[in-house]
Amino acid sequence: MEEKIELSGSEQRKVLFRLLSYTKPHKKIISWAFLLLLLTTAGDIVLPILVAIFIDDYLQPGRLEFKPLLLLGSAYMGIQILKSILLFFQLVKFQEIALYIIQQLRIDVFSKVQALGLKYFDKTPGGSIVSRVTNDTEAIKDMFVTVISTFIQSGFLLIGIFITMFILNVKLALFCLIIIPILLFVMVLYRKWSSRFYLDMRERLSQLNAKLSESLQGMSIIQLFRQERRLRREFGSINEQHYNAGMKNIKIDGLLLRPAIDMIYILALIIVLSYFGITSFTHSIQIGVIYAFVNYLDRFFEPVNQMMMRLSLYQQAIVAGFRVFRLLDEEEIAPKQVGMPLEIAKGEIEFKNVSFSYDGKLDVLKNISFTAKPGETVALVGHTGSGKSSIINLMMRFYEFDRGEIIIDGRSIRDFSKDELREKMGLVLQDPFLFYGTVKDNIRLHNNSMTDQQVEEAAKFVQAHPFIDRLEDGYEHRVVERGAAFSSGQRQLIAFARTIAANPKILVLDEATANIDTETEEAIQTALAKMRKGRTTIAIAHRLSTIQDADCILVLHKGEIVERGTHQELLAQMGLYHKMYLLQNGIQSFLKVQ
Amino acid sequence: MKVFLQLGWFFKQERKSYITGVILLLFVALLQVIPPKVIGVIADHINEGTMTKKLLMEWMAVLIVTGMLMYGLRFYWRIMIFGSSVKLSKILRDRLYHHFTNMSPAFYQKSRIGDLMAHATNDLSAIQQTAGAGVLTLVDSLSTGGFVIIAMAFTISWKLTLICLIPMPLMALLTSWFGTMLHKSFYKAQGAFSSLNDKTQESIMGIKVIKTFGQEKEDIEDFRKQSEDVVQKNIVVAKIDSLYDPTISILTGISFFLSIVFGAKYVLNGVLTIGELISFTTYLGLLIWPMLAFGWLFNIVERGRASYDRVTKLLSEKVDIQDQENARDVVPCGDIEYRLTSFTYPGETHPVLKDIQFSLERGETLGIVGKTGSGKTTLLKLFIREFEGYKGEILFGGSKIADYKLDQLRGAIGYVPQDHFLFSANVEENIAFANPAVKQAEIEKAAKLANIHDDILQFTHGYQTVVGERGVSLSGGQKQRISIARALLMNPEVLILDDSLSAVDAKTEEAILASLKQNRKGKTTIITSHRLSAIQHANQIIVLEEGTIIERGTHEELMELDGWYKNMYLHQQLEELVELGGQ
Repeated sequence: MEEKIELSGSEQRKVLFRLLSYTKPHKKIISWAFLLLLLTTAGDIVLPILVAIFIDDYLQPGRLEFKPLLLLGSAYMGIQILKSILLFFQLVKFQEIALYIIQQLRIDVFSKVQALGLKYFDKTPGGSIVSRVTNDTEAIKDMFVTVISTFIQSGFLLIGIFITMFILNVKLALFCLIIIPILLFVMVLYRKWSSRFYLDMRERLSQLNAKLSESLQGMSIIQLFRQERRLRREFGSINEQHYNAGMKNIKIDGLLLRPAIDMIYILALIIVLSYFGITSFTHSIQIGVIYAFVNYLDRFFEPVNQMMMRLSLYQQAIVAGFRVFRLLDEEEIAPKQVGMPLEIAKGEIEFKNVSFSYDGKLDVLKNISFTAKPGETVALVGHTGSGKSSIINLMMRFYEFDRGEIIIDGRSIRDFSKDELREKMGLVLQDPFLFYGTVKDNIRLHNNSMTDQQVEEAAKFVQAHPFIDRLEDGYEHRVVERGAAFSSGQRQLIAFARTIAANPKILVLDEATANIDTETEEAIQTALAKMRKGRTTIAIAHRLSTIQDADCILVLHKGEIVERGTHQELLAQMGLYHKMYLLQNGIQSFLKVQ
Repeated sequence: MKVFLQLGWFFKQERKSYITGVILLLFVALLQVIPPKVIGVIADHINEGTMTKKLLMEWMAVLIVTGMLMYGLRFYWRIMIFGSSVKLSKILRDRLYHHFTNMSPAFYQKSRIGDLMAHATNDLSAIQQTAGAGVLTLVDSLSTGGFVIIAMAFTISWKLTLICLIPMPLMALLTSWFGTMLHKSFYKAQGAFSSLNDKTQESIMGIKVIKTFGQEKEDIEDFRKQSEDVVQKNIVVAKIDSLYDPTISILTGISFFLSIVFGAKYVLNGVLTIGELISFTTYLGLLIWPMLAFGWLFNIVERGRASYDRVTKLLSEKVDIQDQENARDVVPCGDIEYRLTSFTYPGETHPVLKDIQFSLERGETLGIVGKTGSGKTTLLKLFIREFEGYKGEILFGGSKIADYKLDQLRGAIGYVPQDHFLFSANVEENIAFANPAVKQAEIEKAAKLANIHDDILQFTHGYQTVVGERGVSLSGGQKQRISIARALLMNPEVLILDDSLSAVDAKTEEAILASLKQNRKGKTTIITSHRLSAIQHANQIIVLEEGTIIERGTHEELMELDGWYKNMYLHQQLEELVELGGQ
């Protein structure tokens, strides 16, 4: 459910101008579009004049000379056809511009999302971010495509018509100016009322859909608790409210849209005809000019109708734009790197008195210090909420820390470039996320320089090759539904291959063995052992059996390291680790004893 | 046009509105003919120098009256016709909802909620279009078109009319064709947009992986490519969309040209006055809309028919679980007895339950345990009549459960499902779901029994805190306990807990079980559970495996058996030790 946003006039203008600033890079194509617009508008205006000339100079006096008439006739048809062709290109161009502008806006928003820190994703539901990138920009597209181009095109025509009217007859044109304030009045009135009623109707519609969707999801509860009748009543009443809102909209539209504009048209017609009628008492009148004026009036009002019908889109687009810009201005940026040209050559990691808090109040890590020498494995164990994952989050630079220091190869982690860190540190998550695409795509990700052979080698290295090979299409097998067709162990093996293919210096395992099945367990254990060889490894382990050979095991409890040492040392301490070990390994022995 | 027949019931029902609306439309169409005529008359008077003040005043008065009449009539036909169409979608929406509430879980198993939603939104709006804009375009194109042509042919010149009408049918044809093409290309553009949407969603869900591998730039590039595809497909739409105006412009241009050329000839011959020629060209302008409308009509009707077919099909789905004739209209109570030979889910071949025989005396507690997929939940679903079609019988208070009215049967049962679904309402409304009129004290009593009262008081707005999809997020255990309170509020004859203590800790589980025992004396309780501690004290425990009972008895008896139950019991005791940190 989106929050309700009400914007003041100046805020609305700010959003509009910022949206319009996106037209800047398209100046050239926009100039072309405007040129085409100018030409088609000119065509629209010249055509009635040609007819007027024909009426006044040839038809009325009965002068039928073949040559000038042929010229006039072919000019008329020529301009008509040329104008129509140009019109096509003009319409296409304006839409193209709008589409490219929106594409740019979309890419900007998407890039911004990629640059945001994970903190932002913690506090914002994924669905609403997706909505910013696609649906909101789509609403803005509708505005650019329909509202703005209609406004520009209609505006051009209206101005052109008025200029011509002034040229044809200044006094009459002045009279016709009266129409403008009346039109504006109706427009303002409509905008004021319709924005309120239209929003109300949309609100009701979203309530209606929310109720329906929720009822469908909870239908068995509704039925078991015999609340069908009550919910039908409730739904019926929302439905009724929606109907009433719909009727109000029909009334407003009926009062102020087309019927009102048509009424103003009749009014304008009365002004023009009365003027000519009254003038004819004293002066002679050219019939052709009457024709031209009447014709212009006909053309004048259709664009006005179009503009008014699109006003509601404008309102939605501005609100959407506001939300998009708020995301673009979001300051929860991912941690910054100084980016000196340094290389992680050895892979030594040191945590020095690191403390950290997600919300600034509660410390989830307290004075964490440890060192992992090159090639060593450091394991982190502890209960849920003990702070294991936070250590990895800091090391991967997902979150910025402010107390203590993380040092890699003797330099602060902040000194390295982001690319260097990403290249040299490989993370395997508990839940291996597979993307849409083939198995191969999922191993090499977007690194297109990686050959098929390298992909296969990586897969072989982590024991993933045999099962991939058995798949239909092998490495070209399509991953659907985030890999739902694979077992969790198979997904994990693909994730291993993905990490190994990048050949990192430091390996970070975040509960990589938590959900694996018996079929793949052995393969995974073998793969892990191979992967760790020659790499500094930081591993969070759920199963203690997987980290018994670690060089150092850190036992965390409520954000603090409470025990540290090798497996044997920790067992000898008879502390927390010892208990955890007994619990995990005791089940079988316990059963045997029984 | 078949859809208009299919919607006949509605037109009949709303005949007053539709007949009024159509008559008003006809009047508007008739009135529309007047202004061009006035223009011609005035032009002629001016041209011939016969204009007088009186004449001018009279004609202007005609225009004013015409304008005002049209304004009023146009307003009212909208209310009549568009208003009725909104009413139609309201009626259909209510019907769909009603129908949805009657459908059994078997129906929801085979249909996706997204599809059902689409029927209730997109399809209804297409049908609304048909009953509104569809009727309008049909009536208006025929009437406006008809009257204008009549005015042109009879008051000006039928020959000229025929000549100028030549390009017009082509316009209707072309616009209808463009409409079909537009719809197709629009569909493709929608597809591209929805893949972009999927891509975005995927990137956001996989943001950690992308960041881990430093693939931001590449992912943005991928996004750029996909958004380019969206642009390209939309440009195709734009191109088709942009064909309308130029086509209309050229065809009306030709019509116009013909009318001036031939009209001029008639003027010189003295058959026509210049004013009439001007009227004639203005009439031509009035013909554009009916032609366009005629083109649109086909597209609207085509979509409307497809949508209406889908909705009718949905509405005609049979309600599969219904009351029998002469069903007993009493709330059942008493002993429960299962004599099941087998049950197979509709559309499946393998039975999920086989040879289930047991009887449970009123006031007893039954525990059902077994692995996931062993048939525990199915066993319960048959009792609450979510599914039927089993072989054998289930007795409740001595009668078959199907002999009771469904409503009465369910009145006797308080069910707490596995997936604790809460509605987007406050805690109080969720607990009082079965009886919204119940007193606050009752709600709190149920909450206390379910051991959730203290938690609720901790929420920001206490019992008024909104939960559910759009409310605060609760822990699984809290949701489970609220669902338990919801069932307890009914004080049901039979309480069913379908693995609904899985997310609460051992201590809370114990407290809830104890309070149930105290407060449900003389009432039957059925509990399924993974954790044996939840059913340990039941009067009777059955162990299911692959849909059949493999062990049964009390806890003590089962421990004696040295089978599945005992193994599981020991295993779980150890697990509990682990959870407590080994203390």
